[in-house]
Amino acid sequence: MLRSPAMLAAGLACATLLAACGGSDEFEGEFAGVDLAIPLEKPDVVLTDTSGNPYDLRAETEGLLTLVYFGYTNCPDICPIHLAQLSQVLDRPTMPDNVEVIFISVDPERDDPEGIRRFLDNYETSFVGLIGTQAELDAAQIMFDVPLAQREGDGADYTFGHAGQVFAFAPDGFAYSVYPQGTRQTHWVKDLPVLHAIPAENVGNSSAAGRSWDLRADDEEVE
Amino acid sequence: MQFWCSTIEVPWTWNFRAYPGIWAMVAVISVPYLVAMRRRQGPNPDASTKTRFYVAGVLAFWVATDWPLGLLGASYLASAHMAQYLLYTLVAAPLMLLGVPEWMGRQLLGKLRIYRTVLRLSRPVTAGVVFNLTLLFTHSPWTVDTLRSNQFGSFAMDIIWLLSGFVLWLPIISPLPEMTRSQYPVKMTYLFLAAGVVPAIPGGFLTFATFPLYSTYELAPRFHALAADTDQQIAGLVMKLGGIPIVWGTMLAMMMKWMAEPREAPVPAPPSAAQPG
Repeated sequence: MLRSPAMLAAGLACATLLAACGGSDEFEGEFAGVDLAIPLEKPDVVLTDTSGNPYDLRAETEGLLTLVYFGYTNCPDICPIHLAQLSQVLDRPTMPDNVEVIFISVDPERDDPEGIRRFLDNYETSFVGLIGTQAELDAAQIMFDVPLAQREGDGADYTFGHAGQVFAFAPDGFAYSVYPQGTRQTHWVKDLPVLHAIPAENVGNSSAAGRSWDLRADDEEVE
Repeated sequence: MQFWCSTIEVPWTWNFRAYPGIWAMVAVISVPYLVAMRRRQGPNPDASTKTRFYVAGVLAFWVATDWPLGLLGASYLASAHMAQYLLYTLVAAPLMLLGVPEWMGRQLLGKLRIYRTVLRLSRPVTAGVVFNLTLLFTHSPWTVDTLRSNQFGSFAMDIIWLLSGFVLWLPIISPLPEMTRSQYPVKMTYLFLAAGVVPAIPGGFLTFATFPLYSTYELAPRFHALAADTDQQIAGLVMKLGGIPIVWGTMLAMMMKWMAEPREAPVPAPPSAAQPG
């Protein structure tokens, strides 16, 4: 009599185990993020930080693992999710300390430096907020090779269609992968130590064809 | 307009959302019951009490399924997802079973031709295994992320939970006496093992997991800034502790009934053959 419940039990147990073990922790490329076919050199961008001072992206973040994201403080969905994810991931004890998170506002009309600061402080006081004129922001987005943010809707509560990926620049100044909407904490935890371990002295030596460091070796160390 | 709560990718607001499919389902499970109770010609003992139980069960089902809890559980919070589960299995299902009179139960199982299946399911071992495997399967990350992403999957998950709740309570409070265990110790042991012990295992996984397990809730727009990790820990606690009042309360009630049962008088010793006299 117990045969059919037992078979059902076995089937469900197998399905559960398969579901629990599969999927999310298996990555296809070198990184859990989306690998860039051609690494992107950190753009030479100068914008204004939330204290009102000029911020030279290359100079200020030289030798640091740097995560750059375009967004705006009234963003209803993807920006808060990315920032909350980064805040939680970077709080983990195994994560590198000196990671710079840069939030570039694409909404100069509504986002003033104080507003950006308040917004970022909800997640992490060390996150850097940048703003600029429309022309400066357009130029920055072009240098990052992303579509220009497009205003959507009328009235005061308009939104933006904007680039949804986080650019992760290794200490050598190159981004080897980007992290789109849907990036999970497990992805960040796998990649950040690997990217952080890329030596800064490789600046200018890295390319898609010839990297002077071994991602796989770093990967194994982390795991 | 959606007919059933499922994952949506917009920020949470307290603005009401209508789900007509849920209202239709509430009507489907309540109107025929009420009509049958009213039209009953033969004896119908405790009709008003049973009707109250059933209506309370349907209301619990409605609360668990509809906005806001239904949407929070389908799209935003793992903790709301667990609260839904407890409402279905430990509140709605037993109340509805308590509200079904024996004559209605027999009619229903006969018309649906599922009497034998339900009789088999009412055996404690079978019921416990089916209930807990359903629990494990419907709380695995793959199942949650897949089913909650669309209305049909979300509908299936809610109905499976309600049905598994019926299965859990069949050996204890089935309307049909032949499906209910007669001995209170058996009922108490069954309830303790089936609803008190095993659910603590996934609850522990959720509470102590290193990372958010469900992408649905990890990547959802945040509900009042509640972090995904914290939400998952709350979900684990809800799973582990939320059922305690109902499970232990029921066991206590059964214990008291058992103690109040008249015991058989001890059989007097036969008169001794060597009795002096």
